[in-house]
Amino acid sequence: MATSSSQPVVSVESVRKEYELGGTVTALDGVDLTFEAGSYTAVMGPSGSGKSTLLNLIGALDTPTSGDVVVAGENVAALSEAARAALRGTRIGFIFQTFNLMPRLTAVENVTLPLMFDEWDRSDRRDRAEQLLADVGLGNRLDHLPQELSGGQRQRVAIARALAADPELILADEPTGNVDTETGNEIMSLLRDANNRGNAVLLVTHERRIAEHADRVVNVTDGVIERIEQVDHDTPVAGEQR
Amino acid sequence: MKVGDGVRIAGRSLTGHKLRSALTVVGIVIGIGTVIIFASFGTSVQTDVVGEFEETAASEILVVTGDIGLEPGEGDFGGTPMPGNLDSFALPGLTTHDIGELREVDGVDAVIPRGGIDSAAAVRYEGQAEPHDVIATSPSAFPESNFLNGSSFRQGESGSAVMTEQAAAAYDANISVGDTLTLEFSDEPETVTVAGIVTQARGGLDLFGGFNAEVYVPTDPYYQEYGDTARSAAQGVDQAAYRQATLVAEPDRVTGTQDRVERYFETESDAAAVLEDGVTVQSAADIVDGIESVLDDIIRLVSGIGLLALLVGAFGIANIMLVSVTERTKEIGIMKANGARNREVMGLFLAEAVLLGLAGAVVGIPLGLAVGFGASAYAEVGFTVPYGWVLVATLMGIATGVVSGLYPAWRAARVDPIDALRYE
Repeated sequence: MATSSSQPVVSVESVRKEYELGGTVTALDGVDLTFEAGSYTAVMGPSGSGKSTLLNLIGALDTPTSGDVVVAGENVAALSEAARAALRGTRIGFIFQTFNLMPRLTAVENVTLPLMFDEWDRSDRRDRAEQLLADVGLGNRLDHLPQELSGGQRQRVAIARALAADPELILADEPTGNVDTETGNEIMSLLRDANNRGNAVLLVTHERRIAEHADRVVNVTDGVIERIEQVDHDTPVAGEQR
Repeated sequence: MKVGDGVRIAGRSLTGHKLRSALTVVGIVIGIGTVIIFASFGTSVQTDVVGEFEETAASEILVVTGDIGLEPGEGDFGGTPMPGNLDSFALPGLTTHDIGELREVDGVDAVIPRGGIDSAAAVRYEGQAEPHDVIATSPSAFPESNFLNGSSFRQGESGSAVMTEQAAAAYDANISVGDTLTLEFSDEPETVTVAGIVTQARGGLDLFGGFNAEVYVPTDPYYQEYGDTARSAAQGVDQAAYRQATLVAEPDRVTGTQDRVERYFETESDAAAVLEDGVTVQSAADIVDGIESVLDDIIRLVSGIGLLALLVGAFGIANIMLVSVTERTKEIGIMKANGARNREVMGLFLAEAVLLGLAGAVVGIPLGLAVGFGASAYAEVGFTVPYGWVLVATLMGIATGVVSGLYPAWRAARVDPIDALRYE
């Protein structure tokens, strides 16, 4: 449930993440970050900066080498595999660059996926999915397979899916990376709508133009937070334009 | 995730690859079909043979000299008697006195002694000699319904014989009642008139209908003249003695009568005095048990071959499921990102494997029954549906799915969602 309590939806404390890839690679080197409920934050950085690692940790797909990641009040590292899965299914909504829809499920069925794992009744989740697809403008594409939809339409299905369980947090990983600029703008506007309805949004991108849709931009380089900017939506933020 | 949703999603994955799924199912169909074919045909033959035997011989008690291991469970073939020539392993010990005493046992309707005469003999008709067995027996061996033509000989009268239709058919010339046969015994030939032609005689040890080419003569006088003898302890003289006799018991008193017959042989009989091993008393029910036991063994053995085919099918499922797990790595990642627990991922893949196995059973069982039905019709035996085996085959289909799907499903559950989401 999207809440507006004062408790942060995500809190990252002194997080380090190392990988063993022939030698030890430090992807995150002591990161502290807080996301308030209902906030809209972009994490920006070049590839290899550690932003994807941060996303995986916050998305409860991975656990830190040291430090704590607390999502919706749960310390991710302390959860069982099943509890982490439930957290992903009900408290977090994922949006990916490559859409990641199930190829043999229709638009409606893709949207109901998190609800299915949360054991919703079939008719309830169909109603919910139809509503969400109508909200993103796909009310006439309910029973189409992903391959029958354009890239922009697929991403809108993915957004509807991310919103299905009404999670506190939406994680969007380069959501406009595989669509044209105009479609990208539509998608960013849908994310803004979601944020306006109270879902915290965490946007990961390497493009400043996209990052500036958020209220706050966290710049990550070489596994550490370089700086945090507030975005004034009336005038462009300071800093280099890409 | 609810079970119904899991099955639906698993089914969707399978129908997404129709040809591949169908080919995988074919392996299971062959295995289960083979099991059902052999089981249904075997069961049909068993039911038919046992039914026929019970119909004709339900009230018969067979007495054979010596211990020939007719008891069910003895020996490699479950104790089924070997049809054939008793002379090779039984000694003459049932004296004429014993036969007479057995007629007096409570519950015995008739006693049919049976003894071969001069195994080297040939039977000649119009110049054509055939090596038919000449067997001495009593008129009770020929129930009215067994006669195709004519009637029985009379006990105590020489010069007439009964023959089976198989024996008659062996001659080029047509034999009918009233024709004359020459029994060419080694010392001197005997001439007999054909009194009757029968389908078969009671009291043979041949269990499968006695379709033998045999010529029958009355024990008196022929067996007394040409047959074997033994000393009758009760009467103090040597007299004609048989290797086997068939007792016809009152139909509803077979078991009690069999007990009384056994008691006679344990106590006062000549046979007990003559024979080291005594006699074997066997009712049709015992023999039917023996046949059933043998056929059960055969059905199990042959159906076991079907299990091998099923094993091959199981490897087919395992193989295709492993391919499927690799192909759908990304889907696994998507499901995990959307809240799928490891055991739910495992359940989905296991459900696919079980559906494949079940589909194999659903197609294989009717197919096997159809072929079994065809084989039974061809063999001219009544068709019996082996319900037990149908259940076994269904369970085997499911079990095959579970066993062969277990490892691929476990692999699927262990897929790392981060790697999987990045997988192309």
